[in-house]
Amino acid sequence: MNPLATKILCILPCNGLDKSLGVIAREVSLKVIEKKSDVQLICPVLLNNGDEKYETLIQTAKIIIINGCMTRCPTKLIEERNLKPFRQIMIPDMSKKYKVKPTKDLILNEENIKLAELVADEIIADLNKSDQEKDNAIREFQEQEFFDITVDKYYFTVPKDGYFFNENDCWIKPEGNTALLGITDYLQNAAADILFVDLPELGSEIEQFDDVGSFESSKTVLQLISPGSGKIFAVNKSLEQNPEYCNQDPYRKGWFAEIELKNFEEDKELLMNGLEYFDCMKKKIMKKKNHLDQIKSENDV
Amino acid sequence: MSKSYDADKETFMGAPRNKIPWWPTIDYNKCNFCMECDKFCPHDVYAKTDNEKQPLIVKNQYNCVVFCRACAKTCAPDALTFPEKSKISKLIKELRSQ
Repeated sequence: MNPLATKILCILPCNGLDKSLGVIAREVSLKVIEKKSDVQLICPVLLNNGDEKYETLIQTAKIIIINGCMTRCPTKLIEERNLKPFRQIMIPDMSKKYKVKPTKDLILNEENIKLAELVADEIIADLNKSDQEKDNAIREFQEQEFFDITVDKYYFTVPKDGYFFNENDCWIKPEGNTALLGITDYLQNAAADILFVDLPELGSEIEQFDDVGSFESSKTVLQLISPGSGKIFAVNKSLEQNPEYCNQDPYRKGWFAEIELKNFEEDKELLMNGLEYFDCMKKKIMKKKNHLDQIKSENDV
Repeated sequence: MSKSYDADKETFMGAPRNKIPWWPTIDYNKCNFCMECDKFCPHDVYAKTDNEKQPLIVKNQYNCVVFCRACAKTCAPDALTFPEKSKISKLIKELRSQ
């Protein structure tokens, strides 16, 4: 199992209670853990004292730092341990961004409490977005059995179970009310080395057979024609940095998008299961091969 | 050599391809005959002609991959249109049940 799959989210605030900036940082942290229960609070004072529990936790956790002032004490605590924070917030920056002046008192006024609320909401929105843009590191796939065929120097596979296909060589893998979408091994072979992907917009509604993204290789531009209808709620952002996943592992790491299914029972009427698609793919491969052989023999003559 | 499929034998999702009216329509009032669609399409759907008024035509309509609209994205003047997908998928279901 990928260790990232169980990464714990932690928030490490400034504890500088002698300045209102520190008090705001503390307030932000409290609001985040109140609104997002899976985030754990780390006490900077205890961490600084070498608390064993915190020392272990931060080695594998995603850490969000809330710095009260430019002294950046929480950041230093993490840097001293040769770790990197997941995100750092500077309250003075946030104060400028939201145009709220920190109070001179150590008891926060209404405006400063509102500022803490806004910053907490921003952190949570980012975390939720990050959840939606799940990358390959946190997505796990079970072992899969494949139908396979080798034609000339090309090797083609089709998953035996769990996937459905349209005749446009795209797949859908339903999991309850959601489904992953991607392209088949046949299509990635036809495209050759994929150099660029254009992913769909989060939140967009798609109908079955809409194009939900495209990918560009040195040879051509092809589309992912959706086998299902629904709403896009996650995209595989890692393909933007690693488009080669579409070639290397089209049924798993090369997934394009995840949708909330609208009516998969109806969509299924125009889809094939693994065996049916494997037969369909073999026919396509042989037709293409015969066509190329014919051209070759004509050229030889 | 131009690749032209035998539409009488071809099927798409189990329906005869020659019963599925999916191919691009060129709006000659918009088309600037840049030929980008013809250069792009790997299925030889388009062809150039000597006709000055219509130097580009849809020649092999059944070569067009049903539900593919990729050529339309290459068309700067937006001169290519396709049928409504929902009507085509409904038709395919009807053809399969016959």
